[in-house]
Amino acid sequence: MENVFSILFCLTLFYVAVTYRVKAYVTILAIQGALLTFLLFIPLLDNFNPFSVILPLTIFVVKGVVIPIYINKIILKLDVKRKIEPTIEQISFLSLVILTIVLTFVFSIYLSSITKLEIIPFAVGFSSIFTGIYIIMFRKKLIVHVCGFLVMENGIFLLSTVVASELPMTIELGVMLDLFVVVFLMGIALNRIKSTFSGFEVTHLDRLKD
Amino acid sequence: MIEFLIFIMFPLFIAALLFAIKDLKLQYMFSLITGGFHLAFSFIVFTNNFSSKMPMFFELDGLNRYFLLILSNVYFWVVLVSYKFIKERINEEAKISYSYYFLLLNVYLASNSAALLSNHFGMYWVSVEATTLSVAPLIYFYKNEEALEAMWKYLFVVSLGIAFAFIGILFLSLSSKDTSIEGGQLFFSSFITHAKELNPIWLKASFIFIFIGLSTKIGIAPMHNGDVDATANAPSPIAALMSGSLRLTALIGVMRIFNIIKFTDSFQFARTLLIIGAVLSIIAAFIYMFKANNYKRMLAYSSVEHLGIITLGLGIGNIAFLGALLHAFYNSICKIILFLSAGKIHRFYGSREINKVNGVLKHFPISGWLFIIAYMAISGIPPFGIFFSELTIFEGILISDLPFVLILLMILLLFIFINMGKITFNMVYKEENDIKLLGKKDSFDIINIVSVLLVILLVVVASSASKFLTPNLIEITKAFGYAL
Repeated sequence: MENVFSILFCLTLFYVAVTYRVKAYVTILAIQGALLTFLLFIPLLDNFNPFSVILPLTIFVVKGVVIPIYINKIILKLDVKRKIEPTIEQISFLSLVILTIVLTFVFSIYLSSITKLEIIPFAVGFSSIFTGIYIIMFRKKLIVHVCGFLVMENGIFLLSTVVASELPMTIELGVMLDLFVVVFLMGIALNRIKSTFSGFEVTHLDRLKD
Repeated sequence: MIEFLIFIMFPLFIAALLFAIKDLKLQYMFSLITGGFHLAFSFIVFTNNFSSKMPMFFELDGLNRYFLLILSNVYFWVVLVSYKFIKERINEEAKISYSYYFLLLNVYLASNSAALLSNHFGMYWVSVEATTLSVAPLIYFYKNEEALEAMWKYLFVVSLGIAFAFIGILFLSLSSKDTSIEGGQLFFSSFITHAKELNPIWLKASFIFIFIGLSTKIGIAPMHNGDVDATANAPSPIAALMSGSLRLTALIGVMRIFNIIKFTDSFQFARTLLIIGAVLSIIAAFIYMFKANNYKRMLAYSSVEHLGIITLGLGIGNIAFLGALLHAFYNSICKIILFLSAGKIHRFYGSREINKVNGVLKHFPISGWLFIIAYMAISGIPPFGIFFSELTIFEGILISDLPFVLILLMILLLFIFINMGKITFNMVYKEENDIKLLGKKDSFDIINIVSVLLVILLVVVASSASKFLTPNLIEITKAFGYAL
């Protein structure tokens, strides 16, 4: 079951790699949030207790609903142009992502021979981290950078669900709170950047140099 | 429990209170009381080895007692000068920042104390991220383009770095598979006791990710850029706070994982990484000093250099480790004096560019002299503390298995000393007539008083360190498994 959701998660990465629309990124973030929630619900099917529902629900609210809506609001408010303005061709970007996914799978299979490891979620989580970094590297718009950061965070989260010892709930909730505040602050900063530099791209940020 | 209440809950409570209080002076008074309380209590906790039962995820040990003392020392002085400093702001826009300045300082204190006191990697991670979030809006105090860019870069780069550290923490938990702590909590102490059982591959991977991730916050090259931009463009008290305490909070995370790895066969690997990172940082500072054109940036690079020296000491080990711990304390005090005098100079000249500032001694003698003294202190001239801590580190390197590092270090430090000196003396002595001055006259205000007190403190601590600092530091060094 975990593998099914992980594969679906992997498909979202392909979509991120080919799309030109900023809005598609937001949709993907919401879908990823929902997939992560399902992933957390799977162990609850066997032994249900009302207390352990809190975490998946929080994840769903933060990652699946609040953050996508917030980013969408910023996009509308700041009137971001709908295209993402990549710095490299989409086809090369897609090839890069595919290559990364293949390599992480091969690497995870190799690692699974030395330690016990769930190959598919581990590899997908890592691919997602890399894809997030690529988005930050190869896109000009700062709002897309924020989306890339969140894709990366989702990858880390997927990774953490397959790692043996689970973090206690207070800490997971703390992580969610931190993530939410980061995105919130980035939103405010973007707002300021738009009004200060009358632009929205990473090329505007070149005042500070050695 | 009482430590938990005083160190973490009390500042949080005050922060919530400040949300309701709108008067700046009142906010200042409340923050000052919190800072004073924090300082007094952390001093008691440090000198008496005091400890009581804390809630889960928090625990006092030798290392965090010491770092807590450094934090509250820096914080107290910074808050003390903050009111005077922000009242004489440079631009009108900065007035909006008044509403959250002291509030966020208190949140910073609470989250930073939580990060230091945590005994669990998860809790540490959450608190360190919270320190980033509380300090980011403070960097954007002046509301100008540079500050905005610095804040964005700091927020983004450090969040990315901390995300990397999180991957490292996941790997650490993977390394405990098939051991007796599998599936357990990520407590530092349980990992240290079971260090030998951990899977070396995951442990090494974990160290790489945590070290590189936290480097963005410590300012270890080549990940130092976001941190340097932020320190150079934040208001001076915040820059002092970042250089003196925030970087060390990130460093303690690296020290925790290093402490685990110390007792395994992967120790040499981790040690080499630490030394490479440290030397690269000193080289980064060395290169920048040749082309420096901004004196606050120069000080930010000086922080990169000194955190590099501290990391080098940690990596070399034994007596150098002891020196590194001492260096952390002295460096934090020096940085406050340097940034405060730089902040005053910035007020007088309205520019951070080196060639727009000269004749400081003629126009503003008090700030000029303090700047020279702080430069002497940071360069390791006796009787200031840095001289002794650097000497201890040098001695440690010389008797270690890597004595050639000392030659490289000496050459780099010599050129940094010369170049920084050239810039500093040009600023204070050179006189040109067509210089534009914003400030009229240098009065002896609270900022100068604090600087003078700190200079005295630096000498007093250096001369009495063997009595009240060193015994505790020796304990910490032994806990790391180093021989002295």
